[in-house]
Amino acid sequence: MVKKKKVVPDNSARHRSNGRGQPGAQSSIPNPSLRTYRILDYRLEKPSFKIHQIRKDGEVRYEVTGDLSAAVPPIRESKYLNKKQSLEIYRWMLLNRKMETALENLYKQGKVVGGVYFGLGQEACSCASAYALREDDWLGPMIRNQGSMLVRGFSARDIMMQYMAKAGSPTRGRDASSHFGDIEKRNVVAPISTLGDLIPVLAGVALGARLQGRDIAVMTYIGDGGQSTGVTYEGLNFAAVQDLGLVLFVENNLWAYSTPADMQFRVKDLAERAIAYGIPGVIVDGTDVCQVYDAAHEACERARRGEGPTLIEAKMMRMKGHAIHDAADYVPKPLFEYWRKRDPIARFEKYLLSKNWLSSQENEKLIAGVERELEADRDFAVASPMPQPESAGGGVYCDTSCHEIKPRYGAPKVRLTKSGIATARETAVHLK
Amino acid sequence: MPQLTYLEAIRQGIWEEMERDPSVFCIGEDIGIYGGAFKVTDGFIDHFGAERVIDTPIAESAIVGAAFGASLTGMRPVAEFQFMDFIGCAFNQIVNMVAKAHYRWGAPAPLVIRGPSGGNVHGGPFHSQNPEMWFVHAPGLKVVCPASAYDAKGLIKAAIRDNNPVIFFEHKYLYRRIKEDVPAEDYIVPLGKARVAREGRDLSVITYAAMVHVALEAAEILAKEGIELEVIDLRTLSPLDREAIAQTVRKTSKVILLQEDVRSGGIAGEIAAIINEEVFDSLDGPIVRITAQDSPVPFSPPQEEYFLPKVSDVVREARQLKAY
Repeated sequence: MVKKKKVVPDNSARHRSNGRGQPGAQSSIPNPSLRTYRILDYRLEKPSFKIHQIRKDGEVRYEVTGDLSAAVPPIRESKYLNKKQSLEIYRWMLLNRKMETALENLYKQGKVVGGVYFGLGQEACSCASAYALREDDWLGPMIRNQGSMLVRGFSARDIMMQYMAKAGSPTRGRDASSHFGDIEKRNVVAPISTLGDLIPVLAGVALGARLQGRDIAVMTYIGDGGQSTGVTYEGLNFAAVQDLGLVLFVENNLWAYSTPADMQFRVKDLAERAIAYGIPGVIVDGTDVCQVYDAAHEACERARRGEGPTLIEAKMMRMKGHAIHDAADYVPKPLFEYWRKRDPIARFEKYLLSKNWLSSQENEKLIAGVERELEADRDFAVASPMPQPESAGGGVYCDTSCHEIKPRYGAPKVRLTKSGIATARETAVHLK
Repeated sequence: MPQLTYLEAIRQGIWEEMERDPSVFCIGEDIGIYGGAFKVTDGFIDHFGAERVIDTPIAESAIVGAAFGASLTGMRPVAEFQFMDFIGCAFNQIVNMVAKAHYRWGAPAPLVIRGPSGGNVHGGPFHSQNPEMWFVHAPGLKVVCPASAYDAKGLIKAAIRDNNPVIFFEHKYLYRRIKEDVPAEDYIVPLGKARVAREGRDLSVITYAAMVHVALEAAEILAKEGIELEVIDLRTLSPLDREAIAQTVRKTSKVILLQEDVRSGGIAGEIAAIINEEVFDSLDGPIVRITAQDSPVPFSPPQEEYFLPKVSDVVREARQLKAY
């Protein structure tokens, strides 16, 4: 049984000049100045633990306190996903996981330039969320959302070539890892290294679409660490006040590099931040495909109806270090044990098998198919050439020949004036 | 031909572009009903509607980020900074998100970031700066600083039509102090091209924005002594018109670089290096820099006067250089 924190946005409170409650008032008369809010919590378990800094044996380290003994709950039935869709998401997750394993191996073979970033333990969040997007929607992935880029239509070889800095990578070798996008077909905005910066940009994408008469869903992610930045606030607040269809997944994976979530914020759940922006907030178990998808789907539908942003907090844990060089020794071992049991792929596999949506034979076939695809992509990527040195030049500016910029969704709406609708006019160029 | 102030010329330029191209829209603080802190967008919201003249919260990172996002869908946003001094608040979005977009992942960013910059208005450290070099230093951006009303209109139109991100610095001292003939018809002034504001044969002064008028005033004084100054108005700081710089040095062989900006890291240093590379053999004297001192812009009028380059500085340096 799901217990909801029963808090309802109280419209009458907005008209009150004084929102302060009476101190110590516990009378039976309901306090009219008390504001109440609702945060939907779809989880079937609500673990409570804290990560503290302690001094032990002459060292300062992290320790986790709280109950980590609970059994793994079942996957919560989805309201929307059918068998075909569920199997597709499962396959995306397998591709996501195995691609990252392949990247790790390539790194160990010395074929990768720079580091590798893993979304281990977060595949359900990346894949099920992006699966809720439609063709006209946009995605802004972050570093651990490589699964979402696969869902969106990039291939494993694209990502591998990025990591290996090959000439045929989506950025032609000019940027690394998940720092790529596509404005023509897949509608993906390339991230930059600083955190939170995608949020106002995706809000702007929704703004541009709306100016062309369309309400679309735009989806991006931010971590428990990344959400501490100022630009996160600015972007989300802007989306809220403008009612832009931003679906923001706050991926609370408990660690921002080596800094635990308990050192990033004071609130109990990041979804509570939604209250401060005036938008709906939802909590989901980030290792549960169905919960992630349902929340994403509902938020996208809201967005497409022009009802504005939604903040979805997905709870899970980052199961490797910040990047491949980081052994994550600072993570208390009991936490790894707890979350290992909640592996999103294992959980969903069990769910599909138990529903007879997948037989163990079909599962083997599916896995083999994924591995074959990855093998082919890997071979292609490894064999592909490095860029020519001179290819570093050019492209700093967009000159007249390289791009034709025109509105994506249709003619932008203009206000009819007495002089009629704006028409393009020829230009006389004066050189003075 | 109508006489327009520098400010009115910019206003008309943006207005005409919004009429001409429905993908152009304005976004910024207080630009709607208020018409902008300096009234550049006065009347826009009534004519174009609130959808295309968007008042934002005080969130410069969001203004630039959202403008960039909208440009990815094919729109051409014109983002206003109430004072260009506040551009620091959006610095990361501009230099990391926007400037690198085309080079990195092939996404053009056809947005214009515009606002008032410059001093001599007793604005103090946060309302008088010349932040242009922060952006000249970031490859991928174009930086424009008009000095005349004619150029202001032509350049803002060209900037809006440019597929690249343009940072458009409007010198606030010039907003209402200069008024000149501006054609009523549609015209543009190309980015990346300097102009000869005054022809001369003895010395070249290469400068931009409000200092163009300081140079022209000095030129009048020096003309009476038989010293003919050539004044080059750069108009665009990035990309620089290297050919115009080289040409004037070949012509006069002596050059003064004049900037209202603080000395260190200003465009004068960059131009001096370019002159060294392109036309060193044409020089008959050292390259002279006239700049503000390396400090924040002071507030009190006598201090600001001390801080800013003056007509008398140009006259003095020109006489000295002529005699070299």
